Amino acid sequence: MSGLVPFAPRLETERLILRGPEKADAAAVMGFLMDPNRSLGFGHIAQRGEAWRWFALLVGHWHIHGYGYMVIEDKATGGAAGISGIWNPETWPEPELGWVVFDGYEGKGVAFEAASAARRWAYTDLGMTTLTSNIVPDNARSKALAERLGAWYERTYDNENMGVDELWRHPGPEVVLA
Amino acid sequence: MTLRLETPRLILRPPAPRDMQASVAFFMDERSQYAGGHVGRFHAFKQFAHLLGHWQIKSFGLWTVTLKGSDDAIGMVGPFFPEGWPETEFGWLIFEGEGKGYAFEAAQAALADARDRLGWTDIVHYIAPENARSITLAERLGARLDPDAAIPFADKPTLVYRQPKGEAA
Repeated sequence: MSGLVPFAPRLETERLILRGPEKADAAAVMGFLMDPNRSLGFGHIAQRGEAWRWFALLVGHWHIHGYGYMVIEDKATGGAAGISGIWNPETWPEPELGWVVFDGYEGKGVAFEAASAARRWAYTDLGMTTLTSNIVPDNARSKALAERLGAWYERTYDNENMGVDELWRHPGPEVVLA
Repeated sequence: MTLRLETPRLILRPPAPRDMQASVAFFMDERSQYAGGHVGRFHAFKQFAHLLGHWQIKSFGLWTVTLKGSDDAIGMVGPFFPEGWPETEFGWLIFEGEGKGYAFEAAQAALADARDRLGWTDIVHYIAPENARSITLAERLGARLDPDAAIPFADKPTLVYRQPKGEAA
């Protein structure tokens, strides 16, 4: 087992498995971060060493909070299709439901399917009572997905890492789990 | 098996989430300017969380140093080898208690462990040229300036102090 977070859940949806990060996922996560076209709205990292440190941060975040970003595994290919989960580094306004889809997996509803599962997990296993998503103003794709998830724009704020950022509010457990 | 090193005055243990406040405060403070710090709270968190992740991924990393009789972190010292690093590095972060020889005491023990347990034979310290205290510590630990060694960031002037090669502690 190369799992880096022994206590991470394993969530299964129709086409996907969401699980804790493993050593072998570093390459896919780093590839995403280092690709400016794909990672601009998330936090692009040009340098390989810095991208590895972000992967180490992803692992450390799990151990600090007990939750974090899961890796989305595509059942059909076994490949890493993205990450989704709950992200809450220092200075974050609130725990965030986040999602990212890697190259080759876009346009298939992967993010919607994964984020829906991660949101249910947060509202059930983690006992969270509300969730937000932080979206940079020009990330139209993420906003469209947030709307599809039933979320709405709440306010604009200044994010230490991303600059001007929008906070979107998700429907609560009473709606999502109904 | 619990990993842990002991010196006359100190305990070294793997870092844990409970070290977060001390570590984040250090990385936000001006004293951490030569150690990737003196940054905002988000980036300070990122530094600490990635040191935790480094341990999970590599099974080694910077140890948390505490005084005997207390579990509060006074610093972190140890082997560090993130992706893209030119060589196996041994580093130190001193949160508090400077001038009492704690860093030297902790570093000696952790260096010996890196050689014995990890089998490291060629160890360097990356130090900012302005960081006189760290240069003194590196020399006291037996390292010598290596002007020909590769540095981690081409655009960031860095001195490389090298430990005597292949010396098992």
